[in-house]
Amino acid sequence: MSGRQLGTVLWQALICAAVLALWQWGYDLHALFPKLVPDLLDPYFVSKPTEIWDQFLVLGCLKTGLGVWNGWGDGTFSRCMVKFDNNLWFATWVTLKNTFFGFLTGVSSGFVLGLVLGRSDRLSAIFQPFITAVNSIPRIALAPIIVLAFGIGDSSKIVTSWIVVVFLVFYNTFAGARSVDKSFINAARLLGASEWQITRSVVIPSTMAWVFASLTPAISFALIGVIVGEFIGAEHGIGRLIIESEARGEASGMMVAVIILMIVGVILSAAIWRLQIYLLRWQK
Amino acid sequence: MTESGQMRVEVRGLDKSFRLGAGLLEAVKDVSFTIAKGEFVALLGPSGSGKSTVLNMIATLLQPSAGEILIDGKRVVPQKASPQVGYVFQKDTLFPWRTVADNIGYGLELAGVPKAERAQRVATCIEQAGLLGFADAYPSSLSGGMRQRAALMRTLVVEPQILLMDEPFGALDTHTKIDMHEVLLKIWEREKQTVLFVTHDLSEALTLADRIILFSARPGRIKEMFAVNLPRPRDAVTLRETPSYTELFTHIWHSLGEEFIKGRKP
Repeated sequence: MSGRQLGTVLWQALICAAVLALWQWGYDLHALFPKLVPDLLDPYFVSKPTEIWDQFLVLGCLKTGLGVWNGWGDGTFSRCMVKFDNNLWFATWVTLKNTFFGFLTGVSSGFVLGLVLGRSDRLSAIFQPFITAVNSIPRIALAPIIVLAFGIGDSSKIVTSWIVVVFLVFYNTFAGARSVDKSFINAARLLGASEWQITRSVVIPSTMAWVFASLTPAISFALIGVIVGEFIGAEHGIGRLIIESEARGEASGMMVAVIILMIVGVILSAAIWRLQIYLLRWQK
Repeated sequence: MTESGQMRVEVRGLDKSFRLGAGLLEAVKDVSFTIAKGEFVALLGPSGSGKSTVLNMIATLLQPSAGEILIDGKRVVPQKASPQVGYVFQKDTLFPWRTVADNIGYGLELAGVPKAERAQRVATCIEQAGLLGFADAYPSSLSGGMRQRAALMRTLVVEPQILLMDEPFGALDTHTKIDMHEVLLKIWEREKQTVLFVTHDLSEALTLADRIILFSARPGRIKEMFAVNLPRPRDAVTLRETPSYTELFTHIWHSLGEEFIKGRKP
């Protein structure tokens, strides 16, 4: 690691420490300097790192509400997991699973749609006004309707997630398919490629960079769709956990959920990024 | 002229105009010529003389406004490329997402040639093009000359009998260009494809061709034809020092020069 990189890491650690310290002890100064310390630092709203940690242990069934460690051997952990059915682990699993399916269906349908319309002047002329109109709806506004129609189970979350992802991927794929270098298509045609072979071997590869540009936002959108769906009506999931904590006025529970979402988001984006590096390795 | 004397490419009364705003731009006017099997013909002229347009019509990339094109006596159908016809672009159109080997093997892949045979034919081409060691490289890491050699091989690997080349070495520096002439001549001496080579470079036309068709400035029509009776096999470097080369060069130069001047006028 060079000196410069080391300096960067040190600065980052310092910033983290400062934020955590302010979060933990900042409000203690409120009594001394009421003008300087905003009310927003009140642990009632933002909790405190130590409280969040304790709450994490409780929501994760690692400790009981009274602060006693749950054991693996004596079965207290598994009993807690069963009794507390929206525990942190199960909630994360449910949210991740729905995000994955929303992402998968959104990306694949958006990709196919973008490719078909991008390759056909006729179809894109016909469908363009409809797509523009539907795209103008803030998709999140549809979430209550979707929950009403599909119930409070997994399917309403997947559909909400799908509807926010599909347009994003569609527009990128469409733009990519439109901007394929004509000379590549001519070259392929002159080497005897059929329309389908041109699509497969020229249009799709040269559209990939565009598609990938939409995947990182798509994964965040998929997560947003699921969480909003869970806010409106769900039995399980991180969004449900947030709503429950909010109802009990427990800022720490909401913060645990938010931090878990942040970690999930970072991991998923990193995975997409690795995949992109590999698949687009020809790009310099 | 060739042994068989059999006609390969025949162009009759070819016209092409493009819509330009409200008017029409006449790019090609009444062009007719015949290329014999195995003949190497250069289409020479200033830019805007319609020589590339003629080539693209033969390649079926453009549709003629009038006239007809026959390959082996059969009328060419627009948008339906014949597998016997290979085309090399000015800008190498190697697919950046494929390695050199996969680019060269593309045409064979399309034709459904089995993998083992494909690999073998590609390997031969890579060797011929002097690209050994670059089979698994992506085009972005190659020099302009190497890319154009790979592009040439991608066209040649499917063994086309007619080769259409649109200023393929126009973007290369002089040295690389002469290297490419040697590569091309070597292949052509062996395979004797019928070649139509578009260029605005007289020395390039003289080095390569059996015959030069000189195009006039816009609207492009045929101004003159010159037989290039220089001995073969030719050496791209030493050829330029022979008296017959210089003689032909001067002779065509004046005729070509007039068109370059006309082409510059609005």
